[in-house]
Amino acid sequence: MGKYQIDAVPANCAGCLRCELACSDTYTRSFNPSAARIRVVMSGEDCRIDFTEECIECGMCADHCFYGALSKTEKGGDEQ
Amino acid sequence: MSAGGFAGKVLWVDLTRGETAQVPLDMSMVESFIGGLGMCLKLCYDAIEPGCDALSPGNPIVLGAGPFVGTNLPSTSRVYAVSKLPTTGTIGWCGAGGFTFGTMLKNAGFDHVVIRGRSERPVYLSISDDDVRLIDAGSLWGSTVEETTHALWQQYGTPTGVLAIGQAGENLVPFSMAFVDRISTVGRGGFGAVMGSKNLKAVVVQGTGGVRVADRKRYRALNTELCDKIQAWPHLKEAQDFGMINAFSFVPRDDFLRMKKRRAACISCPIGCKDVVEIPDGPFKGLVKCTSSVINLYTPMLYGFRDYRDSIKCMATIDGYGLDMFEFFGLMAMTQRLLDQGTIPAQLAEPEIRLDSLYSMEAWARKISFGEGLGEVLARGFRGIIEEYGEHTKKVAPPLIKGMHPYAGPGSAIAWPLFGTMELGQVLDPRGPHVGSGGSPTYFAKRPLDVFPKHLKRMGVPAAAIGRIIKGDGTEEAARELNVGALLRYSHAWFTTLGSLGICARGHINRFYDAELCAKLYEAVTGIPTDLPALRHKVDRVWTLYRLANLREGLEPGRQESPPEQWFGEAGFKRYLSGEPLTRSDADRMIADYYREWGWDPDTGVPTAQELERLGLASP
Repeated sequence: MGKYQIDAVPANCAGCLRCELACSDTYTRSFNPSAARIRVVMSGEDCRIDFTEECIECGMCADHCFYGALSKTEKGGDEQ
Repeated sequence: MSAGGFAGKVLWVDLTRGETAQVPLDMSMVESFIGGLGMCLKLCYDAIEPGCDALSPGNPIVLGAGPFVGTNLPSTSRVYAVSKLPTTGTIGWCGAGGFTFGTMLKNAGFDHVVIRGRSERPVYLSISDDDVRLIDAGSLWGSTVEETTHALWQQYGTPTGVLAIGQAGENLVPFSMAFVDRISTVGRGGFGAVMGSKNLKAVVVQGTGGVRVADRKRYRALNTELCDKIQAWPHLKEAQDFGMINAFSFVPRDDFLRMKKRRAACISCPIGCKDVVEIPDGPFKGLVKCTSSVINLYTPMLYGFRDYRDSIKCMATIDGYGLDMFEFFGLMAMTQRLLDQGTIPAQLAEPEIRLDSLYSMEAWARKISFGEGLGEVLARGFRGIIEEYGEHTKKVAPPLIKGMHPYAGPGSAIAWPLFGTMELGQVLDPRGPHVGSGGSPTYFAKRPLDVFPKHLKRMGVPAAAIGRIIKGDGTEEAARELNVGALLRYSHAWFTTLGSLGICARGHINRFYDAELCAKLYEAVTGIPTDLPALRHKVDRVWTLYRLANLREGLEPGRQESPPEQWFGEAGFKRYLSGEPLTRSDADRMIADYYREWGWDPDTGVPTAQELERLGLASP
């Protein structure tokens, strides 16, 4: 398990996919939404945020979210 | 091996033959024309059959996304389409907040798509990595933009970029547009009709290849600094929540908050400015509308609608057909005047034309989109009315530039009075009247001259030119002068910089970028050695090639770059600094200043041989 707990609030999500870009760059050294371990799924005009099984909760996605849709909490610590 | 930032291929599509070819990106061309907008203009210059009709097979559509598109640099989603446009008869750039389209294009392995010819039957272009197909679009033909986009998303899943037209584009209405991901508009001037003339209903793209940068360490350092600056901006939350609404008082916050479903962002953008709204009550309760800004949804209110819910419903219909709302309402207003004076027989106006009526406006949007009755004449735009009912009808036409209705200024929907670069630019951008800030400090409100040098430096204006733009160095404001023409030259250059890299030009984003940073980022992303003078040189080359392309197509600067008469006199524009009425000689001087600052002949607007030599464009 990872260092952080990641909390998602899809209602705040604007669909910018900055999380997917940051995640894929971290783990594949290229910006590639299809390789991201977080998935922002647009369904109609609503959105859902999922994590793949490969996600190790590193918190990179939350670091790149500007909209308050993702936050990370250090396990046993404070929300960031 | 391509440089970082670039996907590395250009997709060539021959609709007439039904063939496609994937060709390596010409990196020597990239070195000269940067990428994105610059490369689109160059590819169009090379691919177009000079002098062709905009709706003929000889007119190519060139799509592209710059080297920053696909990275996570803030707000780097811009997609450009370059083609000859039917209303203006000029080659024009059409830009859009790219949502996922540009990023998917790059991930599929393509920086550009060049589409030529004409398909015998309706098709859409499907790009899924290097699996490229032309697919029968019979089932999509006749659908709205919204229906088409959702049908393709259902089929392909998301994220998938979709560029689509509605029925107006299919039926070659010269003021039809295309839409990216059913939100961002592409192409006032009739880009939708260009797609329609090719029987091309949509381009759908998805990719899994990834976008890499050349110098990861430097990229990260520059990107982190930039993101930190945005994160620390005190107005960030306000901009995310309300965006441009603050600048447009005709959108009441209470209305907005009642209907706001969420704000939407193009990929990579930390300050999403698109809107998803839902009508909260009334007969259209539950109707969800996505738009590049809620401001657009209030356009019918500017023409007389009284209920914002009707206004949103009307815009859903207009956008669905793919009509340009400003041309549509300007045309309706002119037609109503011609009916009132009896020039157009009243029996042709069925239903009655009422600019304050949802029923009437929806009916006429349909009649125009499908060419029904009088709608067939109106579907040919202002030119169609004038041809049908005579030259004298021009007297009741709104201001027209290259046959199009500028949407800002006297006699236009948004009647702001001060004459800055955005206003002069409506005459001097070959594509026709388009309102975009280009980063210029004269955008919107009147700002004190003291803040200008900082902005000009950010835009990459050389120090010597700043002295030509702001004359007088005393503290007395009255003794100073603003050279709007010279400023517009650099505003166009800054816009070209942003567009060629893929950065959004909207004011709340481009304020965080500066030309020096752009040069550094270009070097870090692409690995192509670049400094500010080198970037400036390439930018000058791009905009000058744009000029040459249009001169070759027959652009007549003296006639086509002359401001409309309605801009002058007591009800006309006011000078930016003094607020005095703008005169035609003021405007003529600004135009000459603009030409001169570009190194073009100030009388003819034609680039000088010396300037073409400097830019390596003597034989482009």
